[in-house]
Amino acid sequence: MSWLVWRQYRASAAISAVFLAAFAALIVITGLRIAAQFHAAMGPCLAAHDCRWPADNLVLDGGPLGFLVEFTLAVPAVLGMFLGAPLVAREIETGTGQFAWTQSVTRRRWLAVKVGWLLLAALAWGGAVGALVTWWSGPKNAAYLNVFSPGTFDVQGIMPAAYSLFAMALGIAAGTLIRRVLPALGVTLFGYFGVRLIFMGWIRQHYMTPVTTIYSLAANPLPSGPFWELGQGFRGPNGPISMPNGDNIAIVGNGFPASAVPAACNTGPHHLENMLSCLSQHGYVQYLTYQPAYRYWPFQFIEAGIFVALAAALIAVTFAVINRRDA
Amino acid sequence: MNEETGGLAIETSGLTKRYRRAAALSECSVTVPVGRISALVGPNGAGKSTLLRLLTGLAWPTGGSAVVLGGTPRQDPAFLAEIGYLAQDVPLYGRLSAEDHVRAGARLNLRWDGAAARTRLRQLGIPLDRAVGTLSGGQRAQVGLSLALAKRPRLLLLDEPVAALDPLARRHFLSTLTSAVAESDGGLTVMLSSHLIADLERVCDHLILLAEARVQLCGDIEDLLAEHMVLVGPRKDTSAIERAHTIVHATKTPRQTTLVIRRGGPVIDPAYQAEDISLEDLVLAYMGAAAPAAYTHLSTVGEE
Repeated sequence: MSWLVWRQYRASAAISAVFLAAFAALIVITGLRIAAQFHAAMGPCLAAHDCRWPADNLVLDGGPLGFLVEFTLAVPAVLGMFLGAPLVAREIETGTGQFAWTQSVTRRRWLAVKVGWLLLAALAWGGAVGALVTWWSGPKNAAYLNVFSPGTFDVQGIMPAAYSLFAMALGIAAGTLIRRVLPALGVTLFGYFGVRLIFMGWIRQHYMTPVTTIYSLAANPLPSGPFWELGQGFRGPNGPISMPNGDNIAIVGNGFPASAVPAACNTGPHHLENMLSCLSQHGYVQYLTYQPAYRYWPFQFIEAGIFVALAAALIAVTFAVINRRDA
Repeated sequence: MNEETGGLAIETSGLTKRYRRAAALSECSVTVPVGRISALVGPNGAGKSTLLRLLTGLAWPTGGSAVVLGGTPRQDPAFLAEIGYLAQDVPLYGRLSAEDHVRAGARLNLRWDGAAARTRLRQLGIPLDRAVGTLSGGQRAQVGLSLALAKRPRLLLLDEPVAALDPLARRHFLSTLTSAVAESDGGLTVMLSSHLIADLERVCDHLILLAEARVQLCGDIEDLLAEHMVLVGPRKDTSAIERAHTIVHATKTPRQTTLVIRRGGPVIDPAYQAEDISLEDLVLAYMGAAAPAAYTHLSTVGEE
């Protein structure tokens, strides 16, 4: 059975191995270049232990192909579409299922072996791409403290492996339920990005209750490390202060909107310090809502767990359906 | 099941397969004794493929039951090992070679005679190492049959295996089939569907006729031919005939009536000339009888 899997997929395996090798070469070349830039720029302050993070002015240029890293968020979708979706759908579309499923192997056993190998391939591929991107991003993570930000979080650590498992399972389930390759490809593509977008935009921030800190208007005490900022602003005695819309908004220190300064503190533009202390005395503060940096790995494991569970549910559906439906 | 006492390889009762709109197979009750080569005939859409797929367990019935080799068709290695199935249009993995298929079969079956399959294909001059997708239709059908036979099944179900073949390839295919049956010494039962009655007549000894999703005829060909006959006589009232026999199909011209009847006894009306019926005429009579009225009328007009 495994022999048949190998015989059927060896071409795909070879092609994807070539792609992976090419990607790895690119990652190593551009990654070394970025690391060199990072050390050239930050070496002195690292040695003196007085670097300021994030180093927003540092430009780390991965070269013309450095942007490829951003596209690795599509790798799971590609695996799910081109390996997962055809698994059952192509057997049904071309009729070869009638050969495969009338040998002395039950459909579930056939499916178990194929699904097992494909999930393993997804894990290996997603894991390899994730590891390469994580290594490549090391200097950027250190310089910009953005590893927790949406978009960056998603292509590093264990996320690519978990997303790959999910996308592969989604492709397999879609192909089994829809029984046609092309529609199954479409469902896998849109389903994968749709679910990912929902988690990235609306669900991830709620895994743990965010931390909100309140500090004085004059202060600028950012949390340490790559925290994930969810919201910030000002609060007065009567609750949050809404920022006025528009392009040219007059602000006083630290972005406090001039329009919200009460008459009692309106000391004119030349006495900023006085104005800020006056505002503080009147109960005006800054707040910051965020997920602290130490939650990065818990978040990785929570989201990876959710996507592995989704994958397991999709595979369970596939197993339930393959025996019940006509082949 | 005991082959000596004439066990049944296939027994269905009320077997029904409904799709959302219509029944593909309706109340199908047939029996095929062990060792027969059964011809499954009928017009397109009569339910032949559906019946075969239900017998393999690839599709599930919506009503009735089937007993195949003593058990219900099911997802069970022991059952699947006994069935050799060749689907319509011989679906094989186009990019894999015949050799790949033979090797795959060895890994998908406990009982597998790969050597016999290779020998048979070599004798037929079919390249084992070329992608199956590049072979001719006849060669592919032979590969499919060899793979089905390599399982050493007790029941071989073939869905229109010769439809796309030229006469020579058809003859090769059928002779491969008959020699496999001969080698099995009565242990192999075959059901094959086809439109080509002349071919079936050469190799089959049992017939199942489906039309309009229903069984019209089922039995040994010899018995069926003996039970039916053609009566040719003057155009006159046929109610006397109908009392003693069953009229399957009547063709009337202004001067002459041709009746296909199922005999209820000896034919004694001297006005009619009785003739033996050929298999093809028998099949056509039943297919015509089951066709919608408009269709029958048109065919009658055409004959006048």
